[in-house]
Amino acid sequence: MKSIFLIDDDPIFVFLTRKVIDSTNCKFEINEFMDGELALNRLQDICEDPTQLPDVIFLDLSMPVMDGWEFLKEYESLKPKIKKEIALFIVSSSISPQEVERSKNYSSVTDFLIKPLEKDKIVEIMS
Amino acid sequence: MQLAPIEEKADLMIRSVWTSSGGRQIPGNDFNSLLLLACHTADITAAFLTTAGAIVSSAIWGQAPAENQCLFSLVFPLRTSEGLLRGQLIIVDITPKLLTDQQKISLRLIADSLTQTIVLKTRLDRYKGDDSDRKSVTEELDRQKAFYENILNKLPTDIAVFDADHRYLFVNPGAISKEEYRKFIIGKDDYEYAVYRNRDIAVAHSRRAKFLEVKQSGKEIRWEDTLKDPQGNNITHLRRLFPVYDENGELNLVIGFGIDITERKIMEEKQTALVQQLSSRNSQLIDFCSIVSHNLRAPLVNMSMLVNFISENTDPVEQRLLISKLRPVIDNLHDTFNELVESIQIRQDLEIKSEDVCLSDCIRRTMEGLQPEISRLNARIETELQGSGIIHYPPQYLNSIIHNLISNSLKYHFPGRSPLIVVKTECLAEKIILSVRDNGLGIDLVKHRDNFFKIGKVFHRHPNAKGFGLYMTKTQVEAMGGRIWVESVPNEGSIFFIEFVNRSKQAS
Repeated sequence: MKSIFLIDDDPIFVFLTRKVIDSTNCKFEINEFMDGELALNRLQDICEDPTQLPDVIFLDLSMPVMDGWEFLKEYESLKPKIKKEIALFIVSSSISPQEVERSKNYSSVTDFLIKPLEKDKIVEIMS
Repeated sequence: MQLAPIEEKADLMIRSVWTSSGGRQIPGNDFNSLLLLACHTADITAAFLTTAGAIVSSAIWGQAPAENQCLFSLVFPLRTSEGLLRGQLIIVDITPKLLTDQQKISLRLIADSLTQTIVLKTRLDRYKGDDSDRKSVTEELDRQKAFYENILNKLPTDIAVFDADHRYLFVNPGAISKEEYRKFIIGKDDYEYAVYRNRDIAVAHSRRAKFLEVKQSGKEIRWEDTLKDPQGNNITHLRRLFPVYDENGELNLVIGFGIDITERKIMEEKQTALVQQLSSRNSQLIDFCSIVSHNLRAPLVNMSMLVNFISENTDPVEQRLLISKLRPVIDNLHDTFNELVESIQIRQDLEIKSEDVCLSDCIRRTMEGLQPEISRLNARIETELQGSGIIHYPPQYLNSIIHNLISNSLKYHFPGRSPLIVVKTECLAEKIILSVRDNGLGIDLVKHRDNFFKIGKVFHRHPNAKGFGLYMTKTQVEAMGGRIWVESVPNEGSIFFIEFVNRSKQAS
């Protein structure tokens, strides 16, 4: 079963995104994190265990404690230790072109997606 | 030996010679000596020399040596009536342009038959017969010198001219206003001048360094130089120093001059400050736009997703669940909208009315408003207020600032530890410093200092934290010319400081 890390502090968005993922009728394991630091701590714990590492990370940008950008910085320095190929998608409600540009500085970012996450897009990403 | 014809012919010739008053006799008193005359030779033509035949057998016309700065020179032999060569007469044209017809000076060559010498006598205008021309030439030269010096002295720049060893040849009053000092400095350098004026030798060092830079590079240099005037104001000069070479390529002079650019400098500084202010405003605006884009769009996205699910879903239970999720989203949108509008109003409301507000009243009212939370957390709030604490400030800003700081201290209390909050004011001349100290969660400033007061930044996991409060507080403080800063240790607590510019006459 494919696994997803959903890093977002907005409980309604997380709830809705879960519903969209469920509606694809595919079985995914979804782990939720309210901010970048919680997700990073988890990744540090499991970085050498491919069975626990996710296939896909959906990362919000605006979060308390550790926002998406800070997470990306830490994630890139952790990356050499991570024993799995992970696709990372920024999922932001912001439509600012500056943020899209800024995300290009991070090689670990697969794509920049703007909320909401559509069903078709999730199917495409997870297939 | 008959010299008379020579005398006669030479006299005839020289009588028509125009010369400067500097026409001089070279030491030497016989035909074999060389006579060097500084003459104007306009009237000496080849034809004339030919008519002087008996004496002048040939004249050599040619370009004179450069160091004499001549246009040409005439060299012709002087002979006795027997045809014996007795000497040479060299006429050198030095300063033809200086002479006018009025300054015509005649020379007379007098031969002395007894001593066999030729004496060249300068006679100031044989035809007018006095010294007035020599005097007028001197006067004219003095007048011209005064004219040029006057220009140099009146130029609103400082001018200094140095020799190749950095000794002063000239300074104008723009550079050194006192005549006594100007006189002293000629022929001396900056080190001697520093000793004379009992001044810091460092200035001499730095000027010598600049001089050597010009001397070694052979190129002009420019720099800006700021010194204090006697009133203690900064005066800035743009200085230029450049070398002047003679025709042999030797360094002849170094000329320095400076223009007072203090006014321009002040303007530049104002502009720089303005640009910084604008650029900081601009980055605030970008932050603001991005937060608007994010914070308003996020609930809109949620609403639209919820509405889609509700309309696609047929299960009434599920529909009710989805509808119940709409309420917090709408509330969130509402709050965000209000906060954004409020923060825009602070920026726009430059004319907001200030009143004399009593800080302790304001603190007391805030505590009353927060009483339920204070009781729930068993918090203790202490106040240490200095003086009357009257501050001239917009009341709604002051209320909002104090409310924000105290409610933050309550909100971010350390779990299991009763909050202790100390509100303190310190009155200084025209300033009041308010500090709010707590024993709460604290913030990691190593990580967050740069983002501390930025909009949308949240440092703790708290359900009601949106990152607006401190941004608003900072805006309200800065809008009135004050500043805000923080000291904090994680898990121990924070102290927020606000410096108010107090314009109240009642302030103590």
